[in-house]
Amino acid sequence: MLKKINLNSLIPLAQRTCFRNYSQEPAAVETVHDDDFRVLNLRKTKGTQQQLSRRPKPPDVPPPRYKQMAVDQDWGAVWPGPKTFHPASVPLPVRQGWVPLNKTVPGKFANAELMKIPNFLHLTPPVIAKQCEALKQFCTPFPKGLETEEQQEKHFPVQFISSDYVHGLPTIRNPLSRIVTIKLKLSQLKLDEHARDKFLRLIGERYNEETDEITIVTDRCPLKQQNFDYAMYLLTALYHESRTVEEWESSKQEGDMEYYNWHNNQSKVTSTEVLNWGLPGDSKVEPPQEYISCVENLMNEGENEYNINKYKESVVKMLGLA
Amino acid sequence: MSFSGLIKQNALISSQLSRGIQTSAILASVQSGRYKITPKRDRPLTYEMANPPHYIAHRKGWNSWNTSNLRGELRTAQCITEDAFIRKFMTGTWHSLVLSEVIIKRQFNHIRIAALIKQGISSRKMYFLIGYTEELLSYWLQCPVTLELQTITDPKDVIFKYI
Repeated sequence: MLKKINLNSLIPLAQRTCFRNYSQEPAAVETVHDDDFRVLNLRKTKGTQQQLSRRPKPPDVPPPRYKQMAVDQDWGAVWPGPKTFHPASVPLPVRQGWVPLNKTVPGKFANAELMKIPNFLHLTPPVIAKQCEALKQFCTPFPKGLETEEQQEKHFPVQFISSDYVHGLPTIRNPLSRIVTIKLKLSQLKLDEHARDKFLRLIGERYNEETDEITIVTDRCPLKQQNFDYAMYLLTALYHESRTVEEWESSKQEGDMEYYNWHNNQSKVTSTEVLNWGLPGDSKVEPPQEYISCVENLMNEGENEYNINKYKESVVKMLGLA
Repeated sequence: MSFSGLIKQNALISSQLSRGIQTSAILASVQSGRYKITPKRDRPLTYEMANPPHYIAHRKGWNSWNTSNLRGELRTAQCITEDAFIRKFMTGTWHSLVLSEVIIKRQFNHIRIAALIKQGISSRKMYFLIGYTEELLSYWLQCPVTLELQTITDPKDVIFKYI
């Protein structure tokens, strides 16, 4: 009861009569405003038929905006951001559509094709120049001493590669953006011969011999930062692990060697003996480095014509037979 | 098989199946999007209708612009369902006023809806409907929605040819 009273007191008098007209007095004349939405009347009786005596007059539409535009207007103010093409605000006689020969291409008005394609009307050269000018205050000069690639490599040896993804979707996440790649020149690490050998064994196929680069790809953590941290951890662990010498490494025999080392082999003893044969006791002649590398190449890379020829040349030279 | 292994296998299967399902008969592909010539040659066609589907990207553009219809991208199914819903909602809300296909373009999380609209109602109603559509769609889809309409005085303007 209270509610009903409140309602009645809220509705102005004119509307209240109108309401009564709909529900109780069907014969009364109604004025239908063209501006109002039609009301769905389910309890329609004969008299409540809305009388649309006259045809709706055509809407009063102003002429297209481009007809009032000045020639030297500021286009950036007309089209400030990305927007679907609108023929009334673009003062260009553009046309789009495929037609057979000798037919006219559809114009810009009522042309859905022009509304489909993305436009760059908001990025005209003067607007870009203005935006660049505004962004300049946030820029800093390029750091000195990092002009060439050699300098950059020297001061920032680790290369960090990852991808960011932009969608036309209501999501900003992409699982692929978590993948992190770290690249580093092996020569940038301070490793001795033993550590280098161990490092290469640990890293396996991640080392590229041609470019002297090691590549570590991490993708097991869900976030990019975590993967980056993990990659840096791996690099640190590899570096320190390869520098440690375990006890059992000293008990390595010649049979355990993975490659031929001239200094540990019979070739060293024999060639030194041959070179020092008949010489007085104190002065010892060492075989030249060229001979050593030739023997090592011959044993490590296998016998081929080139290696055998080099070996022959070095032996002839060492013994002075040429 | 472990639980995570099962999940992995399921994900693998679903990723393989995601593009393989065809729900309409092969025969329909000959018929869909094509219009028959009438004896009196008086059937009006818009530019969109005049070009059958195999001319998409040659003579006419797509009606949905987003990245999820590219290979291997995210939210493919959700995006298609949302677009279908937007089209239904638009043609229902702007009843007998939409003269073209509803064009849906997505930029980041922003949805732009473009269409050709007949000037059949007063501008006051039109402004109301724009706000109504934007408000409801942005509430349902949980992202900003912009209606970029072009109004047309004479509905015959969109007719490209008669067949």
